[in-house]
Parts: sequence; C-alpha cells; structure tokens
Amino acid sequence: MTMEPEIVVSLNGVSKTFRDFWLRPTVVAVDALSLGVRRGEVFGLLGPNGSGKSTTIKMILGLLSPSAGEVRLFGLGPRSVAARRRLGYLPELSYLHPFLTAAETLRYYAGLCSLPRREASRRTRELLAMVGLEEVANRPVGGFSKGMARRVALASALVGRPELLVLDEPTSGLDPISTKEVKTLVKALARGGMTVLTTSHMLADAEDICDRVMILNHGKSVAEGRVAELGTSLEEFFLAKVGDVQDFALAPFLKG
Amino acid sequence: MMAFFDIFQLELRALSRSWSLAMLSAASAAWMLAVPRLVVGDGTAEGMREVCLRYGLGGVMALVTISMLAAATGSLARERAAKRLQLTMVRPVRYFMIAAAKIAALASAGAAVLALACALAPFAAGTAAEGRRCVHVLHPVMPSPAEEAKAMYAEYMKSPDTPEAVKKARRSTVLRILETRAWDRYETVRTNSTARWRFRFDGVEAPRSGEVLARFRFSNVNNARQDVAGELRLGSLSAVVSNLTQAVLVFPLADRGGDAGEEGVLTFRNDGKDALMMRPRRDVELLVPADSFVWNLLRSWAEMAAVVTLVVAFGVFLSAALGRPVALFTAIVFLLVSEMSPSVVEQYPDEFGATLSDRIGLMVARTVADATHPVSSLSPLERLSRDECVEPREVVRAVAINVVALPILLAILAAFILPRKQEE
Repeated sequence: MTMEPEIVVSLNGVSKTFRDFWLRPTVVAVDALSLGVRRGEVFGLLGPNGSGKSTTIKMILGLLSPSAGEVRLFGLGPRSVAARRRLGYLPELSYLHPFLTAAETLRYYAGLCSLPRREASRRTRELLAMVGLEEVANRPVGGFSKGMARRVALASALVGRPELLVLDEPTSGLDPISTKEVKTLVKALARGGMTVLTTSHMLADAEDICDRVMILNHGKSVAEGRVAELGTSLEEFFLAKVGDVQDFALAPFLKG
Repeated sequence: MMAFFDIFQLELRALSRSWSLAMLSAASAAWMLAVPRLVVGDGTAEGMREVCLRYGLGGVMALVTISMLAAATGSLARERAAKRLQLTMVRPVRYFMIAAAKIAALASAGAAVLALACALAPFAAGTAAEGRRCVHVLHPVMPSPAEEAKAMYAEYMKSPDTPEAVKKARRSTVLRILETRAWDRYETVRTNSTARWRFRFDGVEAPRSGEVLARFRFSNVNNARQDVAGELRLGSLSAVVSNLTQAVLVFPLADRGGDAGEEGVLTFRNDGKDALMMRPRRDVELLVPADSFVWNLLRSWAEMAAVVTLVVAFGVFLSAALGRPVALFTAIVFLLVSEMSPSVVEQYPDEFGATLSDRIGLMVARTVADATHPVSSLSPLERLSRDECVEPREVVRAVAINVVALPILLAILAAFILPRKQEE
C-alpha cells in the first residue's frame, strides 16, 4: 500500500470576479477552479495571456482573496503567517529595491523570514554562490542586468528555505543560457524535495521541468495531467486544448 | 519583531541613500544658522533668541513635517505601485509590522533632524540661552469650563433673557456656547475690594521670595489697558501694583513683612479709582521657577517629534489606502484645514443665524478641530521662546497619544487596508 503524498496547495471551487467601484462585476478571472499540488512535485499552470494564471497564483499567495471557494496552503489560510513561513515566491518581474546591494537584499528577506543574523549572513553567501553573484554581492541591484536581477530575485525567494516555491514566469526575459540555468536549478530543488508551482508561457520550458500541468483558458481548467503521460508534445496538447491559435494576438495575421 | 527592525532599517536606508535625509539635515542646519542673519530683531539678545526659536526652529519644524509627510504618503503607495510591497506581504510578516516599522523609521528620521536643529538653537541664539531658567505657569484652581457650562445650563435655559433659538437648540450646542463663555467669564474687582484666587503647587517648588512672579492682564472688554493700583499678596509674599502703561504686567513677589496671607491664595486688593474687569482663566497667572532652558528645549523637541510622528502615521495610513499623489494631496488639505479649524471654531462658537453651507462648514471645522486636538494643542515653541515650561506631564501625554496610541491605531487600520488594496 502506498501513502498518498500530502497536498501542499489546494484550491476548491475557487472563483475570482473583479468588480468596479460600484461593485458591479467586470471580469471573471478564475471560474470554479479546483486543483491540488502534491508535496515534492513540480506543478505547471499553463495558459494563454488572460487565462487566470497570475490571478490564481496571487490567490495562492494570499495577495487576492477568492470571490468563492477555498484556497489552502499546508492546510492553512494563505494569509496566515505560519503558511507564509513555508513559502517562497518569485514574481514575473524582479521588483528589487534598487538602492540595496545583492547581499543586503538577501539579508533583508532573510530578516523578514526571521532567520537569525548569523544564519542570514551564511545563507546569503550560500545563495549568492549558488546563483553566481558572489563577485557583485556588494553592488546595488539597481545597476544589474535583467538576468542578474532575476537571479537575485530567485535567491531571495529561496532565502527562508521554503517548502513551496511559487514561480511566476521564472524564465521571463532571460537569455537561453540563464534559462537553462534556472531550469537546472528548479529540477535540483525538486529533487531535494521542494514543491514547485510554476506558471509559464514557454511550453518547452514547462515540458522540461514540470511533473504535472494544468491548462487554463478563460479562467477555467481545460486539461490536467502528468507530462510523462500526455502521449504527445506539450505544445500539441496545449494547442489542442486551448483551441489552436485563435486565442493568440497573432491569430488574425496567421489565418490571413 | 526581527522583521520590524529589517523594514525599519530598509526605510532609513532608502532615505539616506536617496540623499533625502542628508539634504533635509543640511537645509535645516543652514536655516537655523541663517535665520539670525536674515530676520531683523529688535536689537536685543532676547529678541534675537525669540527669532531663533520661533522662526528658526519653527521653520525647521514646518520643513520636517512637510518632508516627512511627503515621504510617508509615498512609503507604501510607491512600493505597491512598483509591486515591491507584494514581496514583503508574502513573507511571514504581520501587515501591522510593515506599517508600524515604516512609521517608526520615518518618525525617527524626522526626530533626528529636529534634534539637530534643537542642538543648533543655543548656538544660533548666542549667549541669550545660557544659564536661563524657565517657569511653570500656574492658573487659578477653578472648575473646568466644561464643568462650569454644565452647571450653568439649567439656569441659562430657564432664563427669560435666553433667545428662543438657543432654547430650541441641541444641548451639545448650548453647552459649547456656555463653555466658550466660561473661558471668557469676567470677574469684577470693585474699588477697595479684594479678589482671591487659589493656586495649587503640586509638583513644583514652593514659592520663595523674589523667585515667584504674578502675571496679570489688566485690559477691559475692548482689549485696551486699564489703569490700575493695588496690592498683590501670596502667603507672606507681596507686591505693589501700579500701572499706567501696559496691558500685561509681571510682578515679582517678595517678602516685605506684614501679615502673612492664606497659604496658596493669591489676593489682589484694588486701590484704584475704577472697578477692574478680569478673566481669571486667562488674565491671572503665577510664574514659579522651573528647570533650565536646555531641559525645556529637550521637552519641546519631544513634543515636536510627537507631532511629526502622528503626521507620519497619518501619511502612512493614507499611503496604505490611496495612490501617492492623492494621499499627499489629501494629507496637505487635511493639515491646512486642521491648522485653520481652531480659529474658525473660536470665532464662530455657534451656528445660529448661519446659512446651511456655513453650518456644514462649521461642522467640518469643528470635527477636524476635535480630531486634531492632540496635535493642534501642542505649541511648544511659543512657550519656549517666552521661557515658559513645557510641562513634563504634557510631554508624557503627547508621547502616549501621538507616538504610541494613535500611530498604533493608524498602523492597525493600514494593516486592515493593505490586503484589500491589493484587490484593485
């Protein structure tokens, strides 16, 4: 008899409707979505622009509250401090404080994760070495290239030794070498037992790193399954589920 | 708690690395040193000292308040706009800590700049600040104007002289009118009669010969000076009163022998030709020696820092709810209204005969005046320049309300708003 892995993230019938000033509904961003992310797996949320991926991620992070349904992180509400203690987040853009150096940035986030000063310094050195930024540890991140800033952001997501890492478009804006490095790192973290929830437009990247994917379209789940069991490439599977290219901005041009 | 210090440190780093704090400190120091050269005094060391304190420190206070308000209204709003705030909010940090740490950091920066200006004040004022002592200002022991208003209410409403419109007005409105009157209630001291006022010397040194002063304002209802002659007595101390020139007079009380009067009771015997009109709550004061100018300056700094803290807390609260330009605009409008409100309320204590729009304006002014009383009631520089003691109990109260209670309340409100604002 095998033990079912623990569900780290669960969404149960979750919807999110954005409203205007007069509380009239304007957009249904997520519609009755249910999913479960198991401990130790790399779970990919895929979908075209506006499909509800970022809204779903923000509800999981507690930055947005669902209009209906329930979000649980480690069995807790996503806004609880105990749940946030076990979470690391890499946003789509790096959003770093430009006046802090790379080392100060990591020490700042280590402090927010309540790491003692000495451990924070050790963890900072470790992570800077891991993302290859030891040489520029004392340079303000405002002067960093996009790729370097991305690596600092990734390191700061990992600084509190999270059990769940949420990555929003982790390879966005990276060159092919950096993209490969990030993918290698995510795979290594997953091998180490970390649960990873990622969104991506890059189907090839998702195919490389994800154990399981869910495809969203218009806020609804249109398909879910293990990448290894698709029987086709993720791109073909995606286009079949999302409806070829009609949902993309280029569709009118491509169809002549 | 560690997160609090990290956010606190981050905010201070932002201020120092953007050179904002350095520029504000330099501008404040330059202003303190420039004021004695820019403003023409009356030629006396005393006058120059007053110029330095009121215009020098007052100018720095205004500069720090506006600068810190600008920084506070941007603190959360700019981070939210740049999406950096969400990176803090997904960490295991209570939202209250985020707001509280930002308030603490900005208030500390403001207090540090004010401390620099206060440290420069004795140098800017020259020798006039050396070896000075300030005085406690004691007022006669009387029921508070609010208590007096309540006591007068029933009789006033029964009186046939009371206008019908007032009789139909709400109790709170009538009480407010009576309270204003109580502040200005005149007491008539007839020729050859003696007026008595009791004073309490709690927590101050017992009055000694030559060290205690009595300050009187002898003016009639038209605010013009009155000719006066008579004798003041406080226990075994006394002074002869004779005036033809000034409205406000200060008399040193000295042991001149003779009968000792009642302990703690100041008496004034009117030996002049005319009866005198005096408002005991405003016109009769005893000045008793207190501690040094430097201690008084320190207490004034604490009160000013308390004001800056509350302003910063209000700015951070607005920053949680609004975008930076709207928050800054709202805060400045609120500051201006709160500056004007006390004088509006004083000039128009009731709304009888006013139009609807005037009544609404008065209601707004009164609400703002009441809400901002903890800040507007603090005016340490005026007293500092007159060598009047900024009382330690007032400082404790100002710190308890403006540095602790209200900022905590505003930080709680900001924490409540922060996640809701992310929904937009």
